[in-house]
Amino acid sequence: MRSWRRKRESAGLEAELRANRPEPSPELLYKLEARVREDGRRLRAGSFRIAFAGALAAGVLGALASVGGLGYAATGAGQAVEKATRVVHKHGVTTLHKSAARAQYSKPKAKCPKGKKRVRGKCKKVKKARGVNFRRPPFTG
Amino acid sequence: MFRVDPLANPEPLIRRVYAYVAYRIGDGPDAEDITSETFERALRYKKSYDSRKGEPVAWLIGIARRCIEGRPANLEISSEHYETADRGELEDDALRRIVLSGAVGRLEERDRELIGLRYGADLTARQIAELHGAKTNAIEVALHRALGRLRAQMEGDEESSPAVRKSQAGR
Repeated sequence: MRSWRRKRESAGLEAELRANRPEPSPELLYKLEARVREDGRRLRAGSFRIAFAGALAAGVLGALASVGGLGYAATGAGQAVEKATRVVHKHGVTTLHKSAARAQYSKPKAKCPKGKKRVRGKCKKVKKARGVNFRRPPFTG
Repeated sequence: MFRVDPLANPEPLIRRVYAYVAYRIGDGPDAEDITSETFERALRYKKSYDSRKGEPVAWLIGIARRCIEGRPANLEISSEHYETADRGELEDDALRRIVLSGAVGRLEERDRELIGLRYGADLTARQIAELHGAKTNAIEVALHRALGRLRAQMEGDEESSPAVRKSQAGR
């Protein structure tokens, strides 16, 4: 009985505490609400701008891709890089090691001494073939 | 990832934070200042809010608690911050509210904190337990005791005030 009464009293006190909850002044409520909403608006505007820029970029890329513009752009970029490399890169003097001119005007090789012949770049003695005597055919008139 | 705006609906949050602060330090300009500071900090650190950790009101109450703890020492709480008036001139409800406010103001800091969280900020015992790092059961018991002490304070007030006695008899 006592505990039931206490419970009822407790519930009454709780209800009273909730009902008589301190309330902010209308001025404070208005000011804070306005401050919070203004901040939210500013943030939303910022994110809207970013989203708009992103959407615009995606749209442009999509439109370009549909007409093969991306490949064109990639080729252009590749060529530009190549050109730039050519301009920037330092070339040395190109020497051709094997050319007709070099073959013509190169340093003459030393002559082989008499009785020797150049075989595979080296002077070697030429052996006369033996047993083969060439004779002039007889004069027949 | 999509972020939840904890201050999307500010009005009920302002009311709950103010009620908590007023139960803690008393109704008036100091409570308004603390509430404003709480919302300024909340706006500044809005990105740190994590909806998985709790509701926006619990997050705001955490900020408000830190604001109260960090307030200047000259803003000590006294029962003067709680409502007082010439009791003879007031209506019953207003008188009852003043008695309640005065009784809350005379409670100990911990009791005021619990009452503010439960009946001002309207947090559940579980949310209060999470905020305090205690068990829900322990908070329920502490709240029950705080209510008992508040009732005792109010009964003491009523006995000392003939106007309140008269209003109680009329109910």
